[in-house]
Parts: sequence; structure tokens; C-alpha cells
Amino acid sequence: MRVSLEWLKTLVDTQGRSPEDIAKNLVCTGTEVEGIEKVGEALEHVVVGYVETCEPHPDSDHMHVTSVNVGEHNVDEDGKPQPLQIVCGAPNITAGIKVLVAMVGAMLPGDFKIKKAKLRGVSSVGMICSARELGVGKKHDGIMVLPDDTPLGMAAAEFLGTGDAILTCEVTPNRPDCLNMVGFAREVAATLNSDLLGSERIDADKNNPSVTHEIAPATNTYINVQLADEGERCMRYIARVLTDCEVKESPAWLQERIEAAGTRPINNIVDVTNYVLYLVGQPLHAFDLDKLKKLAGSDNPCLVVRPARDGEKLTTLDGEERTLTPDNTLICVAASSQESDLDKSIPVALAGVMGGANSEIDENTTNVVLESAAFTPSFTSRTSRDLNLISESSIRFERGVDANGCARAAEIASALLETCASAHIAQTPIDCYPNPQEPLVIDLSTAHTCALAGIAIPTNFMVERLQKLGCKILAQKEANENRKGLQDVKTTILSVQVPTYRPDLTREIDLVEEVVRLWGMEKIEAHIPAAKDHAGGYTTDQVWQERIKETLETAAISETISYTFASPDDLALVGEHDENIVPVRLLSPLSQEEGFLRQSLIPGLLKAIAYNLAHGVEDVSLYEQDRVFFAHKGEKQPEEPTYLSTVLCGQRQADTWDEHVTPLSFYDAKGALEDVFASLHIHKYRFKPVDADDFKWLFPGRAAQVVVNKKIIGWVGEIHPLTLKRFDIEKPVIAFELNQDELLAAATARVKFREISPYPTIDMDLAIVVDEEKSYAQCLNQIRRSAGKYLKDVRLFDVYRDENRLGKDKKSMAFSLTFSGGDRTLTQDEVDKSMEVLVEKIKQSLQAEVRA
Amino acid sequence: MSVLHNLDRIEQEALLDITQKQTLEELDQVRVALIGKKGSLTQILRSMNTLTVEERPKVGKRANEVQRTIEGALAEKKEELAAKELEQRISQSALDITLPGRRQAHGARHVISQIVREIESIFIGLGYTVETGPYVETEYYNFTSLNAPQDHPSRSPRDTFYIEDLTESCDEKSAFSAHLVSDVLLRTQTSPVQMRVMEAQEPPIYMLSPGRVFRPDTPDANHLPQFTQIEGLVVDKGITFADLKGTLDHMTRALFGQDRKTRYRPHFFPFTEPSCEVDVSCGVCGGNGCRFCNHTGWLEILGAGMVDPNVLAYAKIDADVYSGFAFGIGAERVAALRYNLPDLRLLTTGDMRFLKQFS
Repeated sequence: MRVSLEWLKTLVDTQGRSPEDIAKNLVCTGTEVEGIEKVGEALEHVVVGYVETCEPHPDSDHMHVTSVNVGEHNVDEDGKPQPLQIVCGAPNITAGIKVLVAMVGAMLPGDFKIKKAKLRGVSSVGMICSARELGVGKKHDGIMVLPDDTPLGMAAAEFLGTGDAILTCEVTPNRPDCLNMVGFAREVAATLNSDLLGSERIDADKNNPSVTHEIAPATNTYINVQLADEGERCMRYIARVLTDCEVKESPAWLQERIEAAGTRPINNIVDVTNYVLYLVGQPLHAFDLDKLKKLAGSDNPCLVVRPARDGEKLTTLDGEERTLTPDNTLICVAASSQESDLDKSIPVALAGVMGGANSEIDENTTNVVLESAAFTPSFTSRTSRDLNLISESSIRFERGVDANGCARAAEIASALLETCASAHIAQTPIDCYPNPQEPLVIDLSTAHTCALAGIAIPTNFMVERLQKLGCKILAQKEANENRKGLQDVKTTILSVQVPTYRPDLTREIDLVEEVVRLWGMEKIEAHIPAAKDHAGGYTTDQVWQERIKETLETAAISETISYTFASPDDLALVGEHDENIVPVRLLSPLSQEEGFLRQSLIPGLLKAIAYNLAHGVEDVSLYEQDRVFFAHKGEKQPEEPTYLSTVLCGQRQADTWDEHVTPLSFYDAKGALEDVFASLHIHKYRFKPVDADDFKWLFPGRAAQVVVNKKIIGWVGEIHPLTLKRFDIEKPVIAFELNQDELLAAATARVKFREISPYPTIDMDLAIVVDEEKSYAQCLNQIRRSAGKYLKDVRLFDVYRDENRLGKDKKSMAFSLTFSGGDRTLTQDEVDKSMEVLVEKIKQSLQAEVRA
Repeated sequence: MSVLHNLDRIEQEALLDITQKQTLEELDQVRVALIGKKGSLTQILRSMNTLTVEERPKVGKRANEVQRTIEGALAEKKEELAAKELEQRISQSALDITLPGRRQAHGARHVISQIVREIESIFIGLGYTVETGPYVETEYYNFTSLNAPQDHPSRSPRDTFYIEDLTESCDEKSAFSAHLVSDVLLRTQTSPVQMRVMEAQEPPIYMLSPGRVFRPDTPDANHLPQFTQIEGLVVDKGITFADLKGTLDHMTRALFGQDRKTRYRPHFFPFTEPSCEVDVSCGVCGGNGCRFCNHTGWLEILGAGMVDPNVLAYAKIDADVYSGFAFGIGAERVAALRYNLPDLRLLTTGDMRFLKQFS
């Protein structure tokens, strides 16, 4: 909403405040001011000059070479004015006139910078300006000629005295009343606690006149109106007929007003409808009556407001053909109001949004039907949005146009056209208003208001400011307030009648908001509530979730966040697919690549690896902790478990001066997982080899399922090279993915203390050579089983392979075994005996060769 | 008395020898040669039984004397040489202390998680709980129960991701959902969590609901289709606008600095009334106006307001007894302001060069 302060000042007493001050007050009461644009401010280096001489240009048939005295702005060494040589092409240039001169260095509207120039060989140091070039009017048929007594050298801004400032305001969607000058003035009056000039003066103002005489015949002899919807789509429809209009340019004041509001003048009829829209917020539409008659094939046609038929078409004023649905509302014209004719009605406007090209006003129009209607917000907003068609009219209707203001708006427009288009106004306008809107009356309790605001606001402040907003206080009575924890607190109940142009005020709380914002939120003293009888803090799961993050970060894995969306390829890539589980599909995704919600975090993490590798980052360790989605037929909302996933690629860190870092492998991923289990005090877990057919995205033989408390909660493994290829990743990537919800279910906060034995333990080393296929777990099991009751701990400390020394497909594993006697000191003999037994047993069970 | 004479000679030679030795190793050889198992002095001591009864006390006494003298000399020399060797070792073992230390690599927490955690901590300190809820919501929880009008533009598929409804029944009859035949969507705010908590718990409620939210914006420098909102809700007896201000002033200062000022501008949101937007004074110019704050001196960071009685009514909380306030802040907005991020897409690429900066 562009608000011209010059215009505003005709409607409300702005108490001589600066534009900045007015803007600040608006911001503090809820109207955002995005900018203040000062007309004329840019006109630096533009001054009043006197054309001393004017000679024809030697090399042009229309330009003149002038010398222009600009007073003190261009002087010689003695301080005597020196005229500037300026070439001018305007037809009305002549010697002996006062003009406005843009000197070198001036910046004219449209970023037009004045520089020294040569025009057809004659140098020129400036420009003599037209009104349009200065951005202060639209005249461009010649330069501005100033009165002879205008002081020489005066700054243009001072001479023009415009000083108008345009505030660009963002009006919140609940305030349709502020989308016009009269309503905005009312808001300013309430904000500044000043007086409205406009609402009383509107009727008397020369610019906002009343119709002085209507002439026969009556409106209904030209046109009739039928509402086909009982007020659901159209609350009120007024039609006025204006005949014998002279379509021409609007008077200058009217053009200036609508230009300030941001609309280009077209002709007097269109300009008047726009002016009234900006003045009182009522969108008007003008139809060419003769075109309507022709379309209807009738001398007394009938306008009908009805839903569009499915697929019905209308070409709107912007030249676009629109295909409509029954949710769109049309203004149509029919031969008469008889049912048979109404069925054949022809669309002439898209109600509340835009007129049709077929009934548009043009330079040949003489008879006009002026529509002033109130279409309902919901239908207008959907139509505007569905057709992607936003107009000044639709913006206002979708927020709410006051049905009680339609008649006055139509009258102002008619009266203006009476004067500036010499229109004759038909008697007795047509007014269809099936359910007249009555103003609401709301009780406002002053104590309740103060209790919500948290500050004492005087009753007379509330009364005064609500009145400024256009409310009427019908009654005041004393009562006791018992709401909001108050007990029999004395209160005044204000019986507030709310004007119908404020559709946002329907409840007491709405009035409380008006009082609070006008009182000033700044004036409310801040304090922190007690939170009595309430215990806060993190839940255990939240604490563990944080612990998981810390554990992985300690393992040099960084957290990332990737998109929740997935492509069909992503869905197919990872995961087992149960028939009963359906992917979650978006109905209007940003792209097909983002058509679903993810079922695994891995594709997003692989994309992150690919991004890093493509940008020269070779070491990538990432984890993500977020939701995945599994839908079930017959259920509205999907399952949304939180997954914990990690991808590792390259090295944990770069080589250092004293350490060569080995590349990340399966065992780093497994180790990180084991760290996570340890941090959550999960001890019952195992890694189970997987069937390659079920895990096609994993490298066969380098993958395992993760089993916690006998439940499979995820997997860990190297990603299959073919899977990596789809992401253009050529380095090995190791990953794991767990259902974190199930992980947390197994977590426990309990740490069990074990007595520290005072008796020494005895460590023995055992190196065995076994077949390659014997797993560590098998060896460990056999050792545990065979070493007797004194074995307390086994630690693998070496694995090596050497075909020459050990043989083909053999490996050596070295263990450190710790023996303890529990409640006594163990003797070396006892340990040696245990070792002997152990060696004999595992030679058998593992076909192991025991090395000294 | 050749034995005594012998002892004198051993003593003399030994003392001379000891003083001449330069290393502990050499010194030890001397020790072995004198008092080792086969040392010259040891042999004299062992051969005492070959002496006459008269000789024995004298030789014995003298031999012990010599032994003590030699041992004393050895010990003294040993100490001297040990000190010398230590000195030498020290002088040769100086490190280049400018070489890099051995550091453990650590992963970094995502900057958005850090901000969420930081804000959570502020409110945990005020006695709040942290609540979560589903990302896939129904139109009822995301809009209707939060007092959004049936035809509110935010419900349109241009502003909300709708999701295939796998049931036969679409409960909502808003024009948008009717059009799409679905009232299932990706939440556009975390307020549905608040509604779910209000339904499940009796006041007093002091809660924070941080989490991912979604809006159909194509990613660019200033927009992401998925971002992180941290919303708060208080419902209790006697909650006023002053409580809202006190709480948000506290949060703003804890988050941006104790010297920062706040400004409350009335605004409009369907779920709160009175509603406001909260600005924090610009940290770059200190509130004087600069490019960073668009020459206003203020940065918009929060939307807030008193919970609309209609919202309380949807949650079956008596608005005559209870009142409350709610607020929402975007973690990405805080990150962009705090770190002057040129492009929000940095937050979702997983670029290690970006992530590592926040460790």
C-alpha cells in the first residue's frame, strides 16, 4: 500500500509530524513501513533559470541553442552570473522565460544523469526540463514555463514545494480497512491520537463529491441485476448507469492522486474507478453498457452473478483466456432476468478479480454500467490463487470489502464522472443486498484487558482510541471480573459497537489487541513467569540422543543435515521392502526427484560424499540423526522412526608428521557403533553376517546386521561399488544405519560397580595359527570355553598372514589372556596347567597350531 | 709384608685409574677388575687364610680400608659421570617444540543443531520441557486447530506440501484439501506439537518444540524447502504480555548478547492475539543503521503473541482460567545472522569444509 502523505494530510491531522515520525508510530502500532520515498528530494542540481537568448541550432530544424542564467549557481571569477549554454529541443522554448534547469551532476528520476554533452556538434551543459522529466507530473508536451517572478537560482525542490513523501506500507492481512486512504487515515488518527479530517469532509470535499442530480429514466430501464447465489458469493451488488459520458483524460489532480498510489492514468472513467478504490477501498468495475446490450441481444439486459460452469471460458482484460471451474464466480449478461435467458448468460467479468475484454471501456464508450459490489473473501481468494491472477481488486476482496460502503463508493464515482466526464446519472441505482450486515456489539472488560496486557491501562484511553478507530461505545457499566485468575476485581464493561469495515474485530480479545497495540507494547514492563508447579528438563531419551552425537563426534564423525525428500531411485537403493509398507508420496513435489519422503538416510549421505569428493575434499566422515517414513495402507500418518546413520570415506584425519593414518575401514564403522553401545551401556549386542541377496547395496562379505538384545536394529558394512558408482563415488565408503528408537529402547542408565580384586592377575600370551575361514569369534569362543575357570579376560593383539612362514590360507592370531584367582592369589603352576589344557583343546577344536 | 705392599699399590693404582675413567661403562670395568668376583682386591680378601695368624689382622684391616676407599672413589666418580652423562643426554635431546602437537580428530556438530541446543538450554534453564511430534501431520493439527481460516492462503499447495492420503476419509473440508483430496501434509510449523501437548497435558505447560518444518520453496540463497523452527508455548494461570516480553528479552540477550535491545512490533498471526514481531538491535552497527540491517538498526528474529482463545478452545483448555503465549524463531535465520551466511544451501550439502568450521 502506497500512502501519499500529501493526500493523507487532507484526511487526517498529522500534527505537523515528519514522514519519519509518522512511519515510526505506524511501525510501533502494527503497520510495517518498508520505505519512505520523497518526491523532489532527488532533484539536486536542478534550479530556476532565465533563458537569456534562444537561437536556432545551426544543424537541426527543431533544436535551439540557449544561454540560461542560473544566478549564483554558475558565476565567473568576480562572482558575476555566467549563463550556461544549453541545447533544447522543446517546441515551447523561447527567450525571456523562467525554466527549470538540470545542471551537470543532477540525477533525474529513472537514474538519468546529466552530463556535459555535444548535440549535433554544439556543446550543452545541462537540460531544460519538462514536468515528466522531473517526475513531478505527466506533462511532456514541452518544458515547464515558470511564473516570471520566480526567484532566479531557486532550488527546484523548493519551487515545486511538492515535498510529498510516499510511505510504502505492508498492511497485515487482517486489516482490509487500511488498504485505502480513508481507512489508513483512521488508523493514523488512532495511532497519533489526532483528528480525522476526511470522514466528515469526504462528503463536502470537491474531490469526493455527492451526486447532485440524478436524471430519468431510472437505472432499471437500462439494466437489471440478479444474484444467483443468495449471498454466498456476493453479499451486495450495486449497479449505477451513467450515460452520455465523454471519455477523455482525467483532471490533473486525479491523475496525480492515482499516480501517487501507484497506478498509471488511462482515461477518466477508469481513473475514477481507481481513485475510488484507493480512496475508500471499494473496487469498482465499469462495463460498456452498449457492449453488454449487444452481447445480450437486448435493450434491457440483466447482469447475473453466478458460479462459472465447469470449463467455461472468459478472456480477461489482460488478454488471457481463462478456463474456469464452478468455484469461480462470474458476472454475466443475459437478455433479461427470465430464467430461460439467465441460462444463456454470457460471462463479462470474473467477479472481484478482473473484468472481461468483451465489455471493456474504450475511447468510443458513451454509456457505462458501474458495479460496486461486495464479493466474499474465500471465493475471491481461491479464484485469484487458482488462476494466478492478482489485481488491486482481488487483493481487497480476499481480505474483505465492507458491504455497507458499496453505495457511498458508487456515489462518489458517479459524482466525479458527472463533473469530469459530463456523465448523466440514471435515477435510483440498483442495490441487491439480501442480508444487510449489522455492526457487531462486543463487551470489553477493562480489568480483563489489563490482566492480559500485564499493565494498567486507563479506561478513558481505551474509550478514546476505540472511538478513533470508528467504534461506538454504546454503554459503560461497572461489574466484577473473575476471569484470568482475577477474583471479584472491579471492572468496567464497555459495550463496543464495531464498524463493519473491521471484519477482524469479532471477539473481546480482538479489542484487547487494539488497545494493547495502541497503548504501545514498548510500555509494557517485561518479567519472566514463575513456572510454578512445573518441572522442566530433558527426558532420558533426549539426554541419550545427545550422548550419541557426542560419541560419534569423538570418533571424528561430523553431523550433517540432508533433505527429507527422496527420489524413486533413492527408495529402491537401500532397505528391505515389506509389501505392507508404502512409501510416503508428495502430491505436489518441487520435482520428481523429490517426490517421496525418505526411508533411509544413506542416499542423502552418499550425495554429501559425492559433493565433497567433487570439491576436492577426500576425507569425509558424516552422520545424520533424523526421521524416515514408512506408510501403511489405511493409515493417515506414516510411521516416523528416527534413524542414526553414518558414512565414512578416506581417512579419519590427514597423515601427520609422525603418523601415517590408515584409511577408514569396516572396523572403524563397527568401532564407532561399539562406542555408541558403550555410551548407552548396551552390552548385549552382536554383529551377524548377512546374506548378500538381501543387502544388494552392500559389499558381499563386508557387511553385518546389528543385533541388540536379540533384535535386529540395523546394519553396518561397506557400500557396494556398483551402488557407489551411481553417485560417482570411486573410493570405498563404509556405512551403518540403525533404528535409533530401538537403540534407545535398549539403552540403560545403570552402571554396575565391580569390586576391584586385591589379588594379582597373571597374563599369558597365546599365538595360534588357524585356517583363514576360522573367524575371530569362533577362536574366541573356543578359548573362553577351554581355558578353565580362572580365565578372566581375552584380548586379541595381533593378526598376521605370511604365506611363506604360515602357509597358504592361514593366519596367526595372538591373544593376551588374563587369569585371576578371584578371592585368592593364583599360582603360576595353576595358570600353566590351565594353559596346557587350553592348548590341547584348541589344537583339536580349531585345528590350530600353537606357536611359542 | 708383600701383601700390605700389594694393597698399597692396588689402592694407588685404583684411585688413579678411577679418576681417569670417562664413562660409566669404563668405570664399571674398573669396579669389576678390583672388587668384582675375580677382582684383584677380592682375591686378596679371599686369600686371607693363606696368611699367618699375625699378618691376618693387619692385612684384614688394611684390605677393608682399601676396599672402602675404592668404593668411595667409585661412588663419587659414578655420581660425577652420571651427572655428566645426564647433562650430555639432555643437551642432545632438545625437541623442536614448534612441531605440531598430536591432536585427536573430532567431528563437528551441525551449526543448526548447535543453535537448537543453545536455545533449548536457555529454556531448560527457565523450567521448560522439549517436545517433539510427527513431521507428517494432518491439516487439523497444522492449521485448523491453530485457528487458521479454512481458506487461509498458507493452506494452499503453493505454501504446503500435501501428502497422499492412504485412508478413504479426508476429514478436512477446506477448499485446498478438497481440491487435492488429502488432509495429510508435511508440517509447515512445529505448532502442531504444541496442540498435541495441550491435548495430552493439563496446564501449566512450559514447552519448547524444535524441529524440521517444510514449505515448497525451491532452494536458493535465502530459501530452503526444509528448515528448522524452534517454537515455545506457555499456558498457565495469570500469563500476561509482560511475561512474553520478559521471556523473549531473556532469550534474545542470551542468544545474541546482553547489550542487545529488543523491539516489539504489533503484527498479525491467526493463532495468537495480540501478536507481535520481535526485532533485536543490529549487532553490526549497534542500532544506528547499516547495510546489514537495511538501515533500520533492527533485525527481525521472532514472531510471538498471546495464545488465541480459539486455540485454547480447540485444546479444551478454559480460556477464562488460563492464558498463554507462544513464539517461533528460525534456527537458519539465527545462523544466517550470527555467521553472516551468504547462502543457506551451505547448510544442507554436507560440505566438510563448512561443517568443520563449527566444531
